[in-house]
Amino acid sequence: MSLSGLDPQTRFDFGRWRLVIIGGLLVGLVLAAAIFAPWIAPYSPLEFDVVEMLQPPSTAHWLGTDELGRDVLSRAIYAARISMQVALLAVTVGLVGGTLIGTIAAYFGGWVDAILMRTMDLLFSFPAILLAVVLMASLGNSVWNAMIAIGLVFIPGFSRLARASTQSVLRQQYVEAARTIGMSDVQIIFREILPNIVAPLLVEAAVAFAYAVLLESALSFLGLGAQPPDASWGNMLSTGRGFMAQAPWLSLVPGMAMFICVLGFNLLGDGLRDVFDPHMRH
Amino acid sequence: MFRFLLARLAAFALTLLAASAVLFVTINVLPGSAAKSALGINATPQAIQRFEAERGLDRPLWEQYGEWLGRTLQGDFGTSFQNSVAVGPDLLKRLPVTLELAVLAFLIANLIALPLGALAARKHGKGLDRSVTFLATILGAVPNFWLATLLVLVFTLTLRWLPPGGFTPFAADPLMNLKQMIMPALSLGLVSSALLIRIMRASMLEILSSDFIRTAEAKGANARTVVMRHALRNALIPYLNVAAVEFGFLFGSVVVIEDIFRLPGLGSFVLVGIINRDYPVLLAGALAITVFVLVVNLVVDIAAGLLDPRQVKGRHA
Repeated sequence: MSLSGLDPQTRFDFGRWRLVIIGGLLVGLVLAAAIFAPWIAPYSPLEFDVVEMLQPPSTAHWLGTDELGRDVLSRAIYAARISMQVALLAVTVGLVGGTLIGTIAAYFGGWVDAILMRTMDLLFSFPAILLAVVLMASLGNSVWNAMIAIGLVFIPGFSRLARASTQSVLRQQYVEAARTIGMSDVQIIFREILPNIVAPLLVEAAVAFAYAVLLESALSFLGLGAQPPDASWGNMLSTGRGFMAQAPWLSLVPGMAMFICVLGFNLLGDGLRDVFDPHMRH
Repeated sequence: MFRFLLARLAAFALTLLAASAVLFVTINVLPGSAAKSALGINATPQAIQRFEAERGLDRPLWEQYGEWLGRTLQGDFGTSFQNSVAVGPDLLKRLPVTLELAVLAFLIANLIALPLGALAARKHGKGLDRSVTFLATILGAVPNFWLATLLVLVFTLTLRWLPPGGFTPFAADPLMNLKQMIMPALSLGLVSSALLIRIMRASMLEILSSDFIRTAEAKGANARTVVMRHALRNALIPYLNVAAVEFGFLFGSVVVIEDIFRLPGLGSFVLVGIINRDYPVLLAGALAITVFVLVVNLVVDIAAGLLDPRQVKGRHA
């Protein structure tokens, strides 16, 4: 077909994968910081040194020091750990819970569907951050509870997507065939339906990851998530704001870190959506 | 149309009732923490028991909910655990602050998103389209509380144009009110515009490539009429639905933004309620925010029904 003799379908198309690559690089950067924090952070994130208090960026401290003389770069690197942990677990809670509810609702239909989905609609009607904040009030302030709260907030979104995808899979002939040969409901759900609705759910998971990072930062910023002295981008920004005039880097660094992380996951999600579903592309 | 309105109103009332139950149960599942927070960590078990008995916190949850719902429907939101001040009047005072903030922010978001999104769609694939998409991508990744911090850094600390926060009623000093509101509203509005730009662009693109637009063009209608009369109206329907969700998100974010700018609104009320484990305050604030979001959704539902009569019929088919 094409002049080079290669089928254009199999040739690597950079344009198509561009967003995935850029997003993947940014996400990779944050993930690397999170995983290898103890090896790449130049200082301890907790050790303070009053002599070095509120130092502007220098060769010794690339991104300066905070009000207790702790190295800001090291704290930002360690904060990536908390963000990634919270986001990973929260998205997992949302993905597993939502997929389960959505698939069951679509598969069994009728009153099961009605009850489950009306409950999801109800949870969806709360603003996400308000729901997370209220859940934190009942769970208590800690990183672990932030994960649970954010995860619960994600369940309705995932369940709607899983339900819609399952409904379209249910119309396929192979599901009919599976029923004919006598597969049980559980077998059909796990062997026939789940593998076929994974792609859209994973795209949604990438976007949810970005949102989880934002929510965790907001909760920590309000003092409800990660507790000092542990470093989280949210609580770094919250303390940094108190020293904005003398030490603006304390506000700039954690914000920039959040921005890079959220941008990365958003681009990755957008890119994956384009790749999996070319019709959506504009 | 009448049946459509009635159905929407009934659904609204039911959702609100269920939402109030969810909030009440979530906030009240952990008894004891409220007493500890109000009486201090050294409170004796007897003191805690008395505190809970006085406020009915030791009774079954459904009984508490029933009583609370009855009082709330009569406009009685109870008294604060912390200082025994009535919650209702305080809530009423805070309402206009948050309302002004949310409306201003939503206005900003739409004033940016509608023209930019429509323009980008008309110039599909050109430089302008790319710049708008790029802008939306960047804005969509900025946490609104960081944007708020940056605005304060630039306009308060560096240029010294705007006050760092606080609230003056519009009636008392309109100029001061706007000076204090512009940064919080921008922090919320700019970030919210990101998603709205993308939605406007996408739905406009879809409409512009549809058959009836091609027919209108073939009939010889000029480009301006086609866009203004035919395309915009149809592109607005999907846009409105997303805008309602985004408004809910924006309204929830006031919890963070009001804290930053020291605005005495519903968001800071909720936050104070959480920090002090002051359930009546927290419940009243959270419920008020939820009611607003639900009302906006109801209004948008009805507006979408007016724009597109098929939705009214479709729901009863």
